[in-house]
Amino acid sequence: MAVDQDTIKKDLREFIVDNFMVGSENETLNDDDSFMEKGIVDSTGVLELTSFVEEKYEFSIDDEEMLPENLDSIDNLVKFISRKMG
Amino acid sequence: MKIQSLLEKAAREYRDRTAVVHLERRISFGDLYRHYSKTASFMKALKLPAGERVALLWENSIEYVYLFFAIQRAGYVVVPIDTSLKPDKIAFILNDCTAKGLVFHGKFKRHLPAVLNESRNLEFILSDIALDFVNDDRTKYLLKQIIESGEEFGSPDNIDSEGHNPNDAPHELTAIFYTSGSTGMPKGVMLSHRNLVSNTLATVEYLKLTARDSVIVILPFYYIYGNSLLLTHIACGGCLVLDNRFLYPEVILDTMEKEKVTGFSGVPSNFMILLNKSSFPERRLEHLRYFTQAGGAMAPEVVRRLIDAFPQKEIYIMYGQTEAAPRASYCPPERLREKIGTIGIPVPGVELKIMDDSGREVPDGDSGEIVIIGPNVMMGYWNQPDEESQVLRNGMLFSGDLALKDEEGYIFIIGRKKEIIKVGGNRVSAKEVEERILENEAIAEAAVYGVPDDLLGEAIKASIVLRKGFELDIKELQKFCRSRMAEHKIPKQVEFLEELPKYKSGKVNKLVLAEVGPKK
Repeated sequence: MAVDQDTIKKDLREFIVDNFMVGSENETLNDDDSFMEKGIVDSTGVLELTSFVEEKYEFSIDDEEMLPENLDSIDNLVKFISRKMG
Repeated sequence: MKIQSLLEKAAREYRDRTAVVHLERRISFGDLYRHYSKTASFMKALKLPAGERVALLWENSIEYVYLFFAIQRAGYVVVPIDTSLKPDKIAFILNDCTAKGLVFHGKFKRHLPAVLNESRNLEFILSDIALDFVNDDRTKYLLKQIIESGEEFGSPDNIDSEGHNPNDAPHELTAIFYTSGSTGMPKGVMLSHRNLVSNTLATVEYLKLTARDSVIVILPFYYIYGNSLLLTHIACGGCLVLDNRFLYPEVILDTMEKEKVTGFSGVPSNFMILLNKSSFPERRLEHLRYFTQAGGAMAPEVVRRLIDAFPQKEIYIMYGQTEAAPRASYCPPERLREKIGTIGIPVPGVELKIMDDSGREVPDGDSGEIVIIGPNVMMGYWNQPDEESQVLRNGMLFSGDLALKDEEGYIFIIGRKKEIIKVGGNRVSAKEVEERILENEAIAEAAVYGVPDDLLGEAIKASIVLRKGFELDIKELQKFCRSRMAEHKIPKQVEFLEELPKYKSGKVNKLVLAEVGPKK
């Protein structure tokens, strides 16, 4: 399944804003912002985020891939998803 | 002896030893004391009357540790605030305890305008960021300026630590920890110096903590179990290794190995995530001496898996509650294998009785309510005499947990009187979640209860009856809840029913829902 990076970015942003930023719509989320640093995603949230990614892009995330460099910003997620699908 | 004397004593005895590690930062007891001394002097000079409440909204960090003690040293009552709360709940707490000061971490600046708008009593705000963006006439202070140019109140060798005898710790309010109440609104648990000092020293004793110990801290300090880690390790001259990234378990395991920690403390969901979703069972963790677990019952199967994965480590299963400052019982590790399912025996200096509804102690083997007696029992609930009288009678704390004692005095919990769901260590009031859900116009009836969950220990499930002509799906309901409640309170499972099963009294029969309700 080939999906371009802009589409992945758009889908991820929509999911994160809809699910983790209700009530904080005025806050900006840059593509390289750390979800942890900004306090957007907690430990329950990261499980939801990985479920969303696994379902949407049809691959599974191994335990050892649960790392901030793969999952902790929109940019990191896009790179990780592209790598997994490539 | 006051609670801050623990830090002053450690600064005298362990001046050059590392007190706190947070990622790349580390601080010695001597420097921690200097920061504490400057911030305490500054806050004292604000000349608020002694006993005024000052809220602390700050993520686990070196700053949290010295600010927590500094507020108390300045003569005020510290009120740690749950950093996951929405602005309306934060404002509720500030108003409820009539906080005059808010010490807050810039990470949460998005909450500030809404919080300040609703908070009636605040006179000053102290933060690590400049607050120019806040259009508000309250006095604002910058932490950096205080640390750079503030005055200390003297070396730890010369200051009066207000007595050294733990038994002389005053019955004077020093901290209020808010916890979910069965009514849905947070209740302020009032703790005295005596409550905290006695429980800290009892915990140091049974865990055999010394200055050689260091603990990885993944639990937030605003949570009483996290606070207990802070106090016990300051008390013994040990080291707090802070890492707020538990959402990435491998990162935590790497930190544990790198920093050679001797202790790991978690709630059931932490252990389940580590056992199920990480390389934890394969790690050697050769410096680790012990695990502690509290914050809700951990399934016997998970305890067995932990023992099997780490047969050489000491595993302390513990029980307590915020109202007990917090520790009431522990199981000595050498007895755990034969007593799986127990919460153990009372911690030193505390007595636990099993009582029936009339307040009489029941014979061993019979069930009743756990009643806690000792210097750790809270002073009461802030401004909630009715709630207080339900749990505090003649100085005894009625825990709400139903249990029995075996012939050796080991206690086994069999149920709960109150409808509190423990989600990954957070206490969630079923009533509160039901009330929020019912604010949705599509919903006619809602019942909320806990169901077993592999990762969270207990997860929130909602059974919903929709109003005629309305439609709603799980995602829409969860989104609605998210706009009103913290993430851990959002129902993970939702089922839609034609009607809710009820007792003759009309009360919803949640036992039927939890046990035989359709799974989704």
